[in-house]
Amino acid sequence: MIERKDFKYYVLRIIELIVLIIWLFPLIWMALTSLHVENDLISKSFHFLPAHPTLANYTKAFTSTYILQWLINSIIISTSTMILTLIIDAPIAYAFAKIKFKGKNVLFWLVMAGMMVPFQVLIIPLYLQFNSYHLINTSLSVILPRVALPIGVFILKQFFEGIPNALEESAFLDGATRYKTFSSVILPLSTAALTTVTILSFINSWNDFLWPLIALNDTDKYTITVGIANFQGTHGTEYALLLSGAVIASIPQFVFYLFFRKKIVEGIAMAGLKG
Amino acid sequence: MIPGNKDSRDGYIFCIPFLLIYILFMVYPLINGFIISFFKYNILSIKKFIGLANYRTLFSDSKFYSSLWHTTQFVLITTPSLLILGFLMALFVNSKSPFKVAGESIFFIPYVFSMTVVSTLWAWLMQKNYGLFNHLLSTVGLNPVGWLIDSKWAIWSVSFATLWWTAGFNMILMSAAIRQIPTEIYNSSSIDGASYWQTVFKITMPLIKKTLSLCLILQVIASFNVFGQVFVMTGGGPYGSTRVLIQYIYENGFSYFKMGYSAAMSYILFALIMICSLILNKIGGNEDD
Repeated sequence: MIERKDFKYYVLRIIELIVLIIWLFPLIWMALTSLHVENDLISKSFHFLPAHPTLANYTKAFTSTYILQWLINSIIISTSTMILTLIIDAPIAYAFAKIKFKGKNVLFWLVMAGMMVPFQVLIIPLYLQFNSYHLINTSLSVILPRVALPIGVFILKQFFEGIPNALEESAFLDGATRYKTFSSVILPLSTAALTTVTILSFINSWNDFLWPLIALNDTDKYTITVGIANFQGTHGTEYALLLSGAVIASIPQFVFYLFFRKKIVEGIAMAGLKG
Repeated sequence: MIPGNKDSRDGYIFCIPFLLIYILFMVYPLINGFIISFFKYNILSIKKFIGLANYRTLFSDSKFYSSLWHTTQFVLITTPSLLILGFLMALFVNSKSPFKVAGESIFFIPYVFSMTVVSTLWAWLMQKNYGLFNHLLSTVGLNPVGWLIDSKWAIWSVSFATLWWTAGFNMILMSAAIRQIPTEIYNSSSIDGASYWQTVFKITMPLIKKTLSLCLILQVIASFNVFGQVFVMTGGGPYGSTRVLIQYIYENGFSYFKMGYSAAMSYILFALIMICSLILNKIGGNEDD
């Protein structure tokens, strides 16, 4: 069907354009604010663009706060979480998809039931648990509770089930074991699903707030997500500094998004359509 | 099927790493937390079994009720608005507009930023004296609004920021479902002379009903668990008027060290979430028949 480009067409397009610009605007505002001189922000005259553009806030954020340390902490924590998630989620998903064994259905439902449990219910017992292991205030306490990811098991299981058994069977006839076919037949064919789970796990861990807030006590141990919230408490009225901190905190995620844009969107859609 | 079949053994071996972690950091704390909720437990003193006393105290604690009400307000405000907005966005990115590709990125981008970044940004936009919103209001001659410091506005302001932050997530889920609808269905309806909105209500919505009800459940769960954006943007203020349930759980556990009381409250929240999802699931499921 060919749409007639009449008056109504152009009005609609203009409205759409305005909405999109408004939606994007807060982010532009964040960047603009971070380039202001602090005093210009709280002066009576309102500047849309910085009157005296400066990078001083960035210098100050890097030199007088822990922001760089927080970024490093977050990268270490999120990367470890993501790697460990793959290491434990993939084998169990494979077992659920391809191996027949007693109690499989019960186990599967036990794991899926985990999706129903809000993490917030676990904070008190987890705190006591990690406290008794003397692991509070370490990265490990933030990583370990986030590693077993039921939604990851689900996505991988669905994907593995779609791989024809015949591919493995010929390898079995040649004397290959389960471990061999899993690592040399199944995994190489599953990069799409593995990437999805990797991304979900990374984003989950990066954005985690409540648990790291509780588990980490020292300012220099914080993740960037907790650090930025702490920033607001300690530099509450230095808006240019706060916003430059927010920009710095967003850079890794933004780069991650630019590289994996399609995969992230696919991953969410995949988790949604199958769940 | 396999020579010298070792399936049973292999099955368990493949499960063990996950199950170990899962039981240790999910099943065990889940059970342990429930047990703790029957104890008076200050981390420094010894545990004392007090039966249902924590739960009884809870139901006469006015701060518990007010926190629960603020959480409920947040659920009631954000759930419908996020679903409707997400759906409109999904329609837009599946329309014939020349901006639909740009739109998909722009609507989704806020979700990429972490909650604390979004909260910091919106707290600045809504700052009473120097924030952009009040600058805009004053240019059209209106009085400044205490978006985050006036108890009439605070919960709405936080909800609004949340809307901007996560509507794109719902858009992706719904848009993926809309893309699975065969185009022939739309073609035949446009031959029948149905208007755009008739097609949306009569064809699109019924065909993605499963996804819509999934979004509804996910949204209700997420909204019940609200904490971070309120904590960063208002700190629960002014005068506790935005303190949500998770914040109260957090304060009891980690400011007053009432571990047992805090655990009891988190189980009430858990039960509420379960009941809501079961009801919603039931409603969604029955409509399928």
